[in-house]
Amino acid sequence: MEKKTIKIEEYLVEEEPYYLEVDKEKALFEAAYRNRIPVLLKGPTGCGKTRFMEYMSWRFKRPLITVSCHDDLTVSDLVGRYLVQGGETVWVDGPITRAVKVGGFCYLDEIVEARKDTTVVIHPLADHRRILPIEKRGEMLHAAPEFLLVISYNPGYQSVLKDLKQSTRQRFLALEFTYPGRELETEIIKHESEIDAPTAGRLVSFGDKTRNLVSAGLSEGASTRLLIHAAKLIHSGVDPKIACEVAISGTLTDDHEMIRALSEIIQSIF
Amino acid sequence: MPDTSQPNSEHLMEEIIKNMRLDFFENEEIIAVIDAIDSFDRHLRQKVLALCFALSHASSSLVSNTLKRISTAAQKLEPEEMERWFDDAADILESQGIDPFIDFVAKVPEDGLEPFMEPERLRLREVTGLLETYLMGISGLDLTIGTDSEPYTDTDTVYLPPVLSRSRVPQENLLLYVLMAAHKWGQIACGTLMVDLHEAPPEGPGTSGPEDDEAGPRGIEALFRQFPERAFAVDLFSLLEAFMLDSFLRKELPGLMSKAEGLKAEIFSERPRLEDLSEKSAFAEGIYHYYLSGNSKGTAPEALAKMRDKILSLRGATDPNEIVGVLFAAYDAAKELKGDYKPQRPVFFLGTIKPERVSRRLEAKREEAMKKLEGVITKLMNMPDFEPRRHRSDGPAVRAKPVRKDEEYLAIKGKIVALDEEINSRIKELGGVPGGVLVKGSDVESGSTYVTLKDLTDEEDEPQAKGAGVKYDEWDYKRGDYKRQWCSLFEVEIQPGEEPFVELVRKRHGGYIAALRKRFEIIRTVPKMLRRQKDGDCIDIDAAVEAFSDMRAGLSPEEALFVRTDRQERNIAVLFLIDMSGSTKGWINDAEKEALVLMCEALEALGDRYAIYGFSGMSRTRCEYYKIKSFDEPYLDSVKGRIAGIAPKDYTRMGAPIRHSASILNIVEAKTKLLITLSDGKPEDWGAYKGDYGIEDTRKALIEARERGIHPFCITIDKEAGSYLSHMYGETNYIVIDEIRKLPNRITEIYRRLTI
Ligand SMILES: Nc1ncnc2c1ncn2[C@@H]1O[C@H](COP(=O)(O)OP(=O)(O)O)[C@@H](O)[C@H]1O
Ligand SMILES: [Mg+2]
Repeated sequence: MEKKTIKIEEYLVEEEPYYLEVDKEKALFEAAYRNRIPVLLKGPTGCGKTRFMEYMSWRFKRPLITVSCHDDLTVSDLVGRYLVQGGETVWVDGPITRAVKVGGFCYLDEIVEARKDTTVVIHPLADHRRILPIEKRGEMLHAAPEFLLVISYNPGYQSVLKDLKQSTRQRFLALEFTYPGRELETEIIKHESEIDAPTAGRLVSFGDKTRNLVSAGLSEGASTRLLIHAAKLIHSGVDPKIACEVAISGTLTDDHEMIRALSEIIQSIF
Repeated sequence: MPDTSQPNSEHLMEEIIKNMRLDFFENEEIIAVIDAIDSFDRHLRQKVLALCFALSHASSSLVSNTLKRISTAAQKLEPEEMERWFDDAADILESQGIDPFIDFVAKVPEDGLEPFMEPERLRLREVTGLLETYLMGISGLDLTIGTDSEPYTDTDTVYLPPVLSRSRVPQENLLLYVLMAAHKWGQIACGTLMVDLHEAPPEGPGTSGPEDDEAGPRGIEALFRQFPERAFAVDLFSLLEAFMLDSFLRKELPGLMSKAEGLKAEIFSERPRLEDLSEKSAFAEGIYHYYLSGNSKGTAPEALAKMRDKILSLRGATDPNEIVGVLFAAYDAAKELKGDYKPQRPVFFLGTIKPERVSRRLEAKREEAMKKLEGVITKLMNMPDFEPRRHRSDGPAVRAKPVRKDEEYLAIKGKIVALDEEINSRIKELGGVPGGVLVKGSDVESGSTYVTLKDLTDEEDEPQAKGAGVKYDEWDYKRGDYKRQWCSLFEVEIQPGEEPFVELVRKRHGGYIAALRKRFEIIRTVPKMLRRQKDGDCIDIDAAVEAFSDMRAGLSPEEALFVRTDRQERNIAVLFLIDMSGSTKGWINDAEKEALVLMCEALEALGDRYAIYGFSGMSRTRCEYYKIKSFDEPYLDSVKGRIAGIAPKDYTRMGAPIRHSASILNIVEAKTKLLITLSDGKPEDWGAYKGDYGIEDTRKALIEARERGIHPFCITIDKEAGSYLSHMYGETNYIVIDEIRKLPNRITEIYRRLTI
């Protein structure tokens, strides 16, 4: 029987991803990795966490294996399971197991979305033991020396049903991500969408103003990702005001008063 | 001099009362009618009286209903529109009789007023919320909108005119409001209202120099007091300022400012020609012209023409003091000009400046900060010379902490006191505290120990009377231990309120409630697919395949192989704990109640189990806990009556009520248990339950609740939420709502976000 092997190159990031450093996250990550301390990326959605991971795995030439967590995620989904193929049972590694074996970066995105009984499997991986128990096979897998576990978490969600447990979070080093400053963000938007600097500047200005409204009823301000979406629309010829309405205001809220206020702000900026 | 209409109107009033008496109306009803009539302004009151008089002859029962409609109309219409509506109503009554009149008046709540409204006008109150959100968005500041005849700001409130009808199109009038508001924000953001007394006064002592005023005003007001022709100087300043604001706003809000360009041309054409004005007035008007078009209409006085470049250069100003510089130059240049200064109408979207309002506001803020500081200083100075006496022998003395070398302390009355940063810097500003000196830790004798301000607050000194009720421990952070059985908590019946509060709120928020219910029903009815169940409606293919594979691999297969759809996946019980202390009196209490009404609607739609309790009390021997709705009780009239009956009582001792709530939640069967507290600031009670003591006990009670598997969430209504909050609430989620009117809408959203 042919074992399903992992082609490391499939997960290798070949080209240098575009990533602008916001604080000192590159150096901090590097230090964490040198010491094999698992990393928690904290921050609102769309502020560059995924991009950062792509960049870091390119930098260290490690395969990047990403799992987006959701509440149906089971331990088998992460660790692996038996499948029946041609009358034979075959064990297939899950993403964590693959990362552990090849010494990759395993990135569990939005970890709080996963159920608590699922998240506990990462505990022994995230401390000095660096082992992954594979219950079904009665095995303990020691992580390859290059392996690193990274999780992300958005503290903006206030739901009590989705809180990161202390026992989980205390195993990680926390890198705080926020929206890049005005200049950096303008630069990023220009790069990602190829629109001109003044328009990118106005988008950033609008983004900033939506973030002012978080205490007034928006659950989150516009992320860099949303600004890039709007920028791309503008680049393909959509009127900037409409682009902002559909790509930003409309996705941020359903509240009519708020949408009206946002649209006044858009009118004032563009 | 007596009002000639008085005898007549008093006579009418008496007649109405007489007629109502004849129709067997109760005294209270009659008084209500009199009050309603008296609530109108004089002019309208007279007419209303005449109308009511006529009605009371037909039937007194018409009077009070009609009065309600008239009040509604008066709220919705501008005075001149109201007049037209009222005259029509009176005409109908006179010429067509009672029934058509009743029809006419009955249409008020629907569309009956529309024919009387000027179609294009936009009233501020229709867009206040929108504008406040807009301002918060562009500025990041929590500015309030107020009403006044001209736009101006005191740096906290932006005043705008009550109605705009400049344009025929309402949308354009909104743009004008936005433009005004943006300029006011510009003033705040550029700091042009923060200018202060300038170095070089224009000439000798002003109208009121600092010498004849022992504590003269500060800030922008002081600046303008130097000018003998104050009004002229203020106008010049606001004109010159416009150049700086213009370029700032172009950068920040380019879209808005490009729309302003068209307006400027329009306004320019309406401005007077310079030749038609006195030289002095022309000087100021000329600057308007420069601002609006870059050039003047008619020949500018030479004194102004010479300054044109200097004035236009303010477009590049980055420091408000540059404006002050040009102001002095311009004021000087205009000194010799002939004629009086007659202010022209200001460019409406620029508005005006009210230096006295700005200074007063800033002064008020400064005073608040000083008061806080004074409180702390007084505490320091009145501190006993020796270690505070211990009332209880079982507690250890104030815990001594060794002084750290790199910290700064206040040495006072033989003690070394640690201060927080804010107090420290203020004491420095003041130049010290009587009887105390600031010292560095390294300068203190080694081995010394320090105390904190809170250590010095004395312990409660109360009679040990212990009544019945439920006993709760209380955390004494100074001893680092609980005071056992310290508080007595009594469950108290709440007196149902008399007015139909709940119904009124439901009526007022009808549309909102419908939307709210829908929002929450969606959460409830979304069926949830539960996978890998031991039993269920159909087979979970993934699980089955896995089990099969496991079996083939020689493992014992998993038994949970089914999928079940579940609508009752939400298994949440929530207890609302409402602050009924005296400090909630007025708005806060109303907002809390209103919030509860909306919350009940939402929870009924959602189907979550909920209970509501209130708390207040006076000292540890009487913590009162009011039942408004228990978990088992349905949301019926009895509950509604109790909500209406929620009223401010005494103090806020939070620890015991939180502990009691936790015990109630503890015996409820639910997967997720939430305790949501709603309070208005620091816990405080008679005796020693204040400051850090109350904070620490509250904190501890919340920690205990968490340990019992309860999720506490705290909502604090506080204009200036202190830094103590994050400590008090610790890991507990909390939110500060700085404006109570936002509470009712926010609370439901908070709840939704907490539980999805
Ligand atoms: N610092 C950054 N450098 C480069 N691109 C960034 C940066 N921050 C955000 N972006 C852009 O924003 C987009 C969304 O970021 P992403 O990494 O997907 O966010 P997250 O994972 O935090 O939700 C990225 O695709 C990238 O285009
Ligand atoms: Mg992501």
